[in-house]
Amino acid sequence: MKIMVAVKQVAALDEDFEIGEDGRDVSEDFLIRDLNEWDDFSLEEAVKIKEASAQAVEVIAVTVAPESADEALRKCLAKGADRALRVWDESAQGSDSIAIARILAAVAKAESVDLVFAGVQSSDHSFASTGIATGALLGWPHAAVVSALDYSPGSKSAVFRRELEGGLLHEVEIQCPAVLTIQLGINTPRYASLRSIKQAAAKPIEVKTLSDLSLGKGDVGASGSHSRVRRMYIPDKSRAELIEGDPAQQAQRLAQIIREFKGDAA
Amino acid sequence: MSRTDAVTRILFEAFPTVEVRLFYVLGYTAIAVFLYGVYVQIRKYRRGAALKLEGSIYSRLLDMTVKVLDQRTVARRDAAAGGAHRLIFYGFVLLFLGTATITLQYDILEPLFGIRFWHGEFYLIFSLVLDIAGIAMLAGLLYMMYRRGWLKPPKLDYARPDRAAGDADFERPQYRREDWAFLWTLVVIGATGYLLEAARLVWLEARPDVWDTRWWSPVGALIAEGLQRLGLDAHGGGVLRLSLWWFHGILALVFIALIPFTKVKHIFTAAASLMVRDPLAAQRLPRVPENQAAPGVAKITDFNWKQLLNLDACTKCGRCHEACPARAVGAPLSPRDVILSLREFANASLQSGKLPEAAELDVHGKSSGQVAQETLWSCRTCMACVEICPVAVEHVPIIVQMRRKLVEDGAMDPILTKTLQTIHKTGNSFGESKRKRGAWSKSLPFKIKDARKEPVEVLWFVGDYASFDPRNQKVTQTFATLLHEAGVDFGILYDGESNAGNDVRRVGEEGLYEVLAGANIAALEGASFKTIVTTDPHSYNTIRNEYPDFGGKYEIQHYTSFLKQLFAAGKLKVEQPVKRRATFHDPCHLGRFNKGYEAPRELLKLLGCELVEMGRCRDNSFCCGAGGGRIWIPDPVGTEKPAQNRIREAAAIPGLEVYVVSCPKDLTMFEDALKTTGNEGKFVVKELIELIREAVPAPRAEAALA
Repeated sequence: MKIMVAVKQVAALDEDFEIGEDGRDVSEDFLIRDLNEWDDFSLEEAVKIKEASAQAVEVIAVTVAPESADEALRKCLAKGADRALRVWDESAQGSDSIAIARILAAVAKAESVDLVFAGVQSSDHSFASTGIATGALLGWPHAAVVSALDYSPGSKSAVFRRELEGGLLHEVEIQCPAVLTIQLGINTPRYASLRSIKQAAAKPIEVKTLSDLSLGKGDVGASGSHSRVRRMYIPDKSRAELIEGDPAQQAQRLAQIIREFKGDAA
Repeated sequence: MSRTDAVTRILFEAFPTVEVRLFYVLGYTAIAVFLYGVYVQIRKYRRGAALKLEGSIYSRLLDMTVKVLDQRTVARRDAAAGGAHRLIFYGFVLLFLGTATITLQYDILEPLFGIRFWHGEFYLIFSLVLDIAGIAMLAGLLYMMYRRGWLKPPKLDYARPDRAAGDADFERPQYRREDWAFLWTLVVIGATGYLLEAARLVWLEARPDVWDTRWWSPVGALIAEGLQRLGLDAHGGGVLRLSLWWFHGILALVFIALIPFTKVKHIFTAAASLMVRDPLAAQRLPRVPENQAAPGVAKITDFNWKQLLNLDACTKCGRCHEACPARAVGAPLSPRDVILSLREFANASLQSGKLPEAAELDVHGKSSGQVAQETLWSCRTCMACVEICPVAVEHVPIIVQMRRKLVEDGAMDPILTKTLQTIHKTGNSFGESKRKRGAWSKSLPFKIKDARKEPVEVLWFVGDYASFDPRNQKVTQTFATLLHEAGVDFGILYDGESNAGNDVRRVGEEGLYEVLAGANIAALEGASFKTIVTTDPHSYNTIRNEYPDFGGKYEIQHYTSFLKQLFAAGKLKVEQPVKRRATFHDPCHLGRFNKGYEAPRELLKLLGCELVEMGRCRDNSFCCGAGGGRIWIPDPVGTEKPAQNRIREAAAIPGLEVYVVSCPKDLTMFEDALKTTGNEGKFVVKELIELIREAVPAPRAEAALA
């Protein structure tokens, strides 16, 4: 029995950041890297299933990223993942979430996993599509924003709960293998002590190439993507003003602002 | 037989041989039981982890001997109990030595070498000394009975703050029974000793060598006269003497046999504990040995032998219970009960011949003998317990070692978990960007040297709170300005500095501490400086006492002693004395931890302040509640916080104007407590640096800044 947990090393902005030369992303120097917050919860959910299970369960943390993401994988190993797997090829640079999902689906097939967990979204790009796209590409049942899960390894289905608008709960049974995207708060992620992170450094991180997964360069990167980032920028600051006074004064001020905006001041 | 020969202690006179033999059989049995008990105890300690002590055994022996003989540790903060203990101790020692010398002559020197010294003047003087010793012991014991029975000081109440009424081990009445049994046994042994002496005198009233020298045993003689007046004759005296002899003898032998099994063992364990004492127990926490599989303490056998011995040294005197700030505000922690719980656990599990299964050795939990998480997380590692313990029990490393296990299991407050992750990610507890560490210096009209780029005389280690907390940043800027005006060649490490790690280590996250200490030592190694100065007592402690274990040996000063030198050298001058009524709060890490009691007081005096001490000051200073990582753990709602307790103490000083602190965390904690206790407007909380700024006005050119 295998559970694959798709994880991502996300970027957070440092103070006073700058946009890179190509205008499509923040310059690397101003990014602080960490494991995506949602992935903390999906990994914890997998490890909890493993710990509660009588039969052997293998938890595999998988990421599609260059070597710099090893730190995030080590954190997963420290928190209880059995294996860490990283897929990368230079040609995967610029992949959108569909292209990343294609790679993840290939890993799920190659490892013949029984369940795939992903975070609902990544905190940096927030597409919220990688997990669901992986399910679609695998042709497996999939569900998003899971906030409670009941699954025992070996069973053919899982029951989970989703929170809907208006305080409604949605209880769903799903056939396995399946792909679930996990919501924050489903559990309490454990603390990975520095000692366990250091010990995890001694564990191997398996690195796969596209050819290991029978994928070609055309499947990933810009050519394998359905979308591309045109630019990233900081919008001009908008202004807000609280208009005070009695209704007549307020109307007068409002009219003045409209005139200024139209350009016919004075 | 010469006269002096005849004047001697009457031992077995008129005893049938069989009774003498019986006594020897009983005596050897008592000694055998005693030795077996000692063996069981030593086997118990040896079941703990290994530990190699530092330093020479002779200096340890000397240190212990002095402490045991002068009894000063027992008299601290409780002069009356200390005095009574002195009487019991000296009395007991003399009586024991006296009895031992009789054995020395009677059973060893005389039969083997024919040497006799127990007669004549020596005997008479000895007899007098022992009579006085007995009186001293009895007086001490009676005071202790009065104290336990009538005075009932709260620290002797065994009710536990970490258990609820009704729990099996809430009040532990067996301890009270043992206390009384101990006192009564010694009293009865002492009293029957005198009676026996008196009966012997009456019995031998016809023998001049006995009767004429009776006043050398004044108490015995007095009682003898009384007995005679009551009509006791020589024959009756003989009968009484024989029965008392046996009663007194058997009771004394039972007492000796039971020493290793009862609280009486503190005679040995307290002395041994004092001998293995670590003077930096709380200041410099132990490293996790390389080969240790898991950090910290999970099982009772994970404690080292010295810690197991510490547990047995405790006499339940309650001094730590009284001093503990967590206990004072009703938190579920008493250092005394941590020690007693673990001792009960060790006695139940490690005294039998066979060691129980590993699962039965787990010291974490809520069962009898176990220590609960909430208890461990209540500790502020303020060192009040370690500092006052008369028998050198080292509570803080015991608690931190247990926390290390909790951290490894992630069993901690979610906010603390988050903070540790933040510190790992950003190097500071505020979650601010590393780049912003030196940002407070941007508004100064002068540039602070980057010690990573140019050599400086003084390297200022700023610390997290002084760098990032907005209120403390003002103090930090003022301190920088004072240094600048005094012409000090100083610099800081800017974003090369990380959280010093003092509190991370006391939380029990040793791995993160190693990372932080390693990063700071690497940064310090890359800089060129003569001495380090810091305004943060926490950083001061870990750099001074703990970095050396990681290869970072530096000269470091807290700002109070550094500024004192600047004043002495005339580089800073008091121009406008601050004539205010002030009290000073000793920060744990400056005062108790590093004995920096004088410099801040001297500075206050220099500034012209009228210093009024709080009741709890210097070594008895009361923690603000922020230590040991507690600044990152919210206090339960609706309970008093240590800082509030402290501010209320200060508020009782008539006419108090300024509550002076010299630690960034103190400033935060006490300004908050001043508001929440409703004392705002009555007096103010100020950093000593701010008072110095008032007294040393900025030169005109830079006046705008101040």
